[in-house]
Amino acid sequence: MSLRLMSRSVLYFVLAVLAASLLGSVIQSQFNLAQIAALGAEVPPALWWSTTLEDMVGFGPLYAAMMAVALLPALLVAALVCRWLPPGEALRLTVFAAAGAVGIFAAFQLANMAAPMPTLIAATRGLGGTLAMMLSGALGGWVFARLHSLDQRLPQHTPA
Amino acid sequence: MTRFFQIVRSHFWSGFTLSGCALLFSAAAHAADYRVETVAEGLSHPWSLAFLPDGRMLVTERTGTLRLIEADGQLRETPVSGVPEAFVSGQAGLKDVVLAPDFEDSREVFISYACGTRRANATCLARGQWQDDGLTEVEVVFRASPDKTGDAHYGARLAFLPDDTLVLTLGDGFDYREAAQNPGSHIGKTVRLHRDGSVPEDNPFVGHEGVLPEIYTLGHRNPQAIVYDSEGERLLAHEHGPRGGDEINLLEPGKNYGWPLVTHGKDYTGARITPFESLPGFEPPLLDWTPSIAPAGMTLYRGELFPQWEGQLLVAALAGKRVHRVVLDSDGARDVEQLFGELNERFRDVRTGPDGAVYLLTDSPQGRVLRVMPAIER
Repeated sequence: MSLRLMSRSVLYFVLAVLAASLLGSVIQSQFNLAQIAALGAEVPPALWWSTTLEDMVGFGPLYAAMMAVALLPALLVAALVCRWLPPGEALRLTVFAAAGAVGIFAAFQLANMAAPMPTLIAATRGLGGTLAMMLSGALGGWVFARLHSLDQRLPQHTPA
Repeated sequence: MTRFFQIVRSHFWSGFTLSGCALLFSAAAHAADYRVETVAEGLSHPWSLAFLPDGRMLVTERTGTLRLIEADGQLRETPVSGVPEAFVSGQAGLKDVVLAPDFEDSREVFISYACGTRRANATCLARGQWQDDGLTEVEVVFRASPDKTGDAHYGARLAFLPDDTLVLTLGDGFDYREAAQNPGSHIGKTVRLHRDGSVPEDNPFVGHEGVLPEIYTLGHRNPQAIVYDSEGERLLAHEHGPRGGDEINLLEPGKNYGWPLVTHGKDYTGARITPFESLPGFEPPLLDWTPSIAPAGMTLYRGELFPQWEGQLLVAALAGKRVHRVVLDSDGARDVEQLFGELNERFRDVRTGPDGAVYLLTDSPQGRVLRVMPAIER
């Protein structure tokens, strides 16, 4: 792998983790706030969104670290799998997205085994929340693969 | 692999536990000058302590056994017989031990514990007869409903009220926090019971449709201490918050203490549990600890050896590795001093002994019972 490709891959990985962790933070906030609203508390829209933004700062960094650990092996596996598949952008994006979703799901399970509490991330206590949070991993995989695809379509600079 | 996760779990909760091995400590000069003696050691995560009238002590070990300490401090090797089998895992296990107020006549002992299996467990309360240094005629008088999975947040502290009823605290099971607001569930509540587990007719929700009649107060997370102040005629409890939001509360029948709708704490992940720190209809705490100290046992000191602590709360802290001295006044409660930090121990419980000394339980696989006495004999 050339240095240029490697540095680009690192950049795309960071962008993928950022996108995935921001989406995951927003999703988990909606689940938590929905539970509070279901208990009868009125949550005005301004408070709803300020809490969502606050979670991006409070919850986002931990989730980004978790996402990075989850995506690294997941994307490597996805890249290997794609070598054996027929060419096609849609299939490639699907494989990377699926790998991201499975990767973050595995990270949830490992975190729950290691942490003393039954479920570390409250939004993943139920099936619906777990599936919704897996979407964030899927986005991470998709963003990484898509950025690579776009990169390969750009004209390559050659020294004069 | 399992061992790896056990190690990670134990360190995650509230830091590493260090245990000393010295038999006698002399504290440095403090506002309250004291010395600390080791009464007994080698206890497996001691959780609660009860004083028998003959000078001996009963100590629960979270790992499922009840131990007897002789008056001279000798820890009897054989555990007390007749103790109900506890579900032991994580925070689950044997919990509180309390003697009936008329113990000398009735010989009744009450024990709370986690019962059931990993997939279906609850907080249970058993009553037994103290006979020949063992428990007999043991019966389960209460089991919290519904069952839950996991091994966290049982509450399980007990206090007798002057009318001979008892109040039992019940945790939210960690994953079931919303159930603390569900009046059809015991999760995240305190319950008031007669000694046989039956419901007192004057419980606040007796006759209310859809509300369990045992419920005394609602909206608790993991209440790990409860004491009745006979002079102030009030019931005080504290609860272990998430990241921040540890609270001391004045418990009054039928009141709602807000969890998880109202808290000063955040989730361990840093996420907001709720946007609200207070709401109408929910009782505010007398004292809030943010950041957390991880409060465990608590005593309201009444004794002659430390007159300067008379009528004040001593709150054991696990993560904080201190005992917090809390003054109660008309404005609420104030944390005024942190004691015993030089021992560098996680404190699971703190009790006032019949001799006026303060007794501490340290939380570790080699836990100890410590006695705190004035530095100078009075």
